[in-house]
Amino acid sequence: MTSAAYDDIRILDLTTELGHYAGKVLADLGADVIRVEPPGGCDTRSMGPYWHNTPDPEKSLTFLYFNTNKRSVSLDLESAAGQEALKALVATAHVVIESFPVGYLASLGLGYEQLATVKPDLIFTSITGFGQWGPHAHFKAPDIVGVAMSGVMTLAGFPDAPPYRPVDHHGYFNAGVQAALATLMAIHHWDETGEGQSIDVSMQEALSLDQETAMQFYDMQKVVRARVGERKILPGVGTYEASDGYIYSMVGVPGFGAPWSELARWMSEDPESEEVPPELLEFLAKLNLREMTSAAQDLQKMAEMAKKFEITDRLLVAFYKRYPKQFLYEEGQRRRLLIGPVNTPEDVVNSKQLKAREWFQEVTHGGEALLYPGAPYRLAESPWAIRRRPPMLGEHNAEILGGELGLSEAQINEACGSVGVRA
Amino acid sequence: MSGALSGIRVADFSWFGAGPIAGGFLAHHGAEVIRVESATHLDGLRTTQPVPPGKEGPNVSGYYNNFNANKLSLTINMNHPQAKDVALKLISKCDVVMENYTPRVFEKWGLTYEAMCEVKPDIIFARLAMQGFSGPHRDFLGFGAVLTPLAGITHLSGYPDRVPIGLGTNYPDYVINPTHVAIAITAALRHRRRTGEGQLVELAQLESTSASIGVALLDYIANGTVQTRRGNHDDAAAPHNAYPCAGEDRWCVIAVQSDEEWAAFCEVAGHPDWAEDQRFADFAGRKANEDALDGLVAEWTRTMEAPEIMSKLQAAGVPAGVVHTAQDVLENDVHMRERGYYVYLDHPEAGHNAYDGSAARLSKTPGVVSRPAPLLGENTWQVATEIIGLSADEVAELAAASVLE
Repeated sequence: MTSAAYDDIRILDLTTELGHYAGKVLADLGADVIRVEPPGGCDTRSMGPYWHNTPDPEKSLTFLYFNTNKRSVSLDLESAAGQEALKALVATAHVVIESFPVGYLASLGLGYEQLATVKPDLIFTSITGFGQWGPHAHFKAPDIVGVAMSGVMTLAGFPDAPPYRPVDHHGYFNAGVQAALATLMAIHHWDETGEGQSIDVSMQEALSLDQETAMQFYDMQKVVRARVGERKILPGVGTYEASDGYIYSMVGVPGFGAPWSELARWMSEDPESEEVPPELLEFLAKLNLREMTSAAQDLQKMAEMAKKFEITDRLLVAFYKRYPKQFLYEEGQRRRLLIGPVNTPEDVVNSKQLKAREWFQEVTHGGEALLYPGAPYRLAESPWAIRRRPPMLGEHNAEILGGELGLSEAQINEACGSVGVRA
Repeated sequence: MSGALSGIRVADFSWFGAGPIAGGFLAHHGAEVIRVESATHLDGLRTTQPVPPGKEGPNVSGYYNNFNANKLSLTINMNHPQAKDVALKLISKCDVVMENYTPRVFEKWGLTYEAMCEVKPDIIFARLAMQGFSGPHRDFLGFGAVLTPLAGITHLSGYPDRVPIGLGTNYPDYVINPTHVAIAITAALRHRRRTGEGQLVELAQLESTSASIGVALLDYIANGTVQTRRGNHDDAAAPHNAYPCAGEDRWCVIAVQSDEEWAAFCEVAGHPDWAEDQRFADFAGRKANEDALDGLVAEWTRTMEAPEIMSKLQAAGVPAGVVHTAQDVLENDVHMRERGYYVYLDHPEAGHNAYDGSAARLSKTPGVVSRPAPLLGENTWQVATEIIGLSADEVAELAAASVLE
């Protein structure tokens, strides 16, 4: 029988956008995650894009995506009534996750030390740009500041243009996913010992591994890796244009798929393509990164190779450009050539593979259905699942504060600010 | 108790990036992680740059070593007919098995989930695959270099008028996918605690990575909008970019998110004229005139060192940060140094090297990175005798038959 691994765990999610993925991970694994929002709604409710492109705090796609399975309580944490209600909730919870600037919650009497007096075995996960302490702990750290300072951004881009950050707000995503893991490990420790603890996650540190080998290159060789742009180490390795977009091609790297001879065969079988000269075919049959590296010692050989590279790349550019990216992907893979399409979000949504695996999940919002991106992992017995649509602001004020904590309607209205008890 | 996962034992058959990094997270937090490797089929990272100058062989790669601290290395030639028996004996002593080969390899070795359950009924078997274990693209080849474009990251990163070349790394391999793997394993451990059951865990890297661009996917599903890359610009801030600074190829990011930050920014920049320029009077104006603004800001930043710009702006409450290189994060960032994120360990062959520490700092059970990566097969004897429980004679026999290499 399947069950949810965390359905006995209650999480209070006080995060801003920086931390919101952490609570989603727990909620999608079955935990009872209560989104504690300010009376005006949490920050992502006022972020586009919106469903139907109409600004509406219940239709922010950023809010919806990151708040599946959560319930919502609105609390004015800057009021005494809101603070008391939060403490009462903490007494019923196992975990608090927050991503406020360092010291903010403590200044309200709601920091880890203060809440641990209410709930001694509390797990308290803090996510910030630079961590809870250190010379930069108080730096403002929107996404781009975290990715810049982590060493990740310097690797991305073209030498003739500024380095760029990863896809929108991925600094937040990296921090959130690592905070989720840390929280699960702390729950494991709590299961073993009954002991709670605080967790300090820094976005800058959470991104460090994304430098790939840059840190080690500097440490071992004092070589600083930088962005290299479109540089192709050999023809067949890099981004190429297809008839309807781009592909990434990685052919000729030993150990990574079929060799260049297979791509040359495909090109020469193609009736539409310019004929590949036989002497070039012979060269291509042996072309790989290892050969090239060993040839690098011999200047004359390198000069000859450069000429052949130029002809080869011209033929290859023309060949790839003739076909749609999904065709090059599937036919290339059939030939065991390592080719991938540069997919747009539309391509990902229409992916045959994701469709066949029923990855997207339908969620109904007041009679209207929306397909949501699905599980990052599939656990056979305690699966990820969307059991509940994302909540409306303060939707569960009455259910949780009234029904569970026994607050009167007047007390709820005081604690929740303008939202109060929703009809 | 030193780590949150103390007492958990993992047989990690995975190789390259995402699998071993996931095992690394578990090892940083106290799990006993045994890399099951083979000299007959080396983990490709063991022979990949960087290596310290003048050193070579399978034990000195910084790429491999960084992901494998705190672990043990056991060598088994899985293609040897006697290997399956040794592997199952090991698995019978473990809580978790991990692998990330192409879908058919483990079946070929006879290491099915069912075979594992016979020797360890509550085993957790975590399998990473590029595309998953079903579907029309199940057997497609894939590495991070192809996954990044496949899962939409490449299209969404970079400049709209330039070729989409991605992030210069096999980006999802290093945090997103391994962290999802470690999460799934930790969740499976809790399910086992509560029910006594193990389970099969499958992570398709295509799915794990696609989940990281969920909002862009929803925007297409809900509105038919196909988002595209837009450099360093952002919906909620302007100016918002990387700006050139004094020195060679030095950059500083600046993100102005509000009117207050804009006023503070103009003051630090010594440009009250910008604050009074009607084009930039509110966020909508700054966003509409973003390109002109970027040009003005760059003229100012060019005259100063990046760290100075960062310090002055941050002191005035304006988000800014140096675009750090690896040298910066290791040597120049006073904050990273004080927090001691990077850990220096002495490795018998590679020398004194930096390792990534744990990004999750737990107050009672802090993760530690304390043992350098193992030499290939360094712990074969120890694991075979102490963990698997083979006698010295049996180990010698297996070694002589070339099983343990």
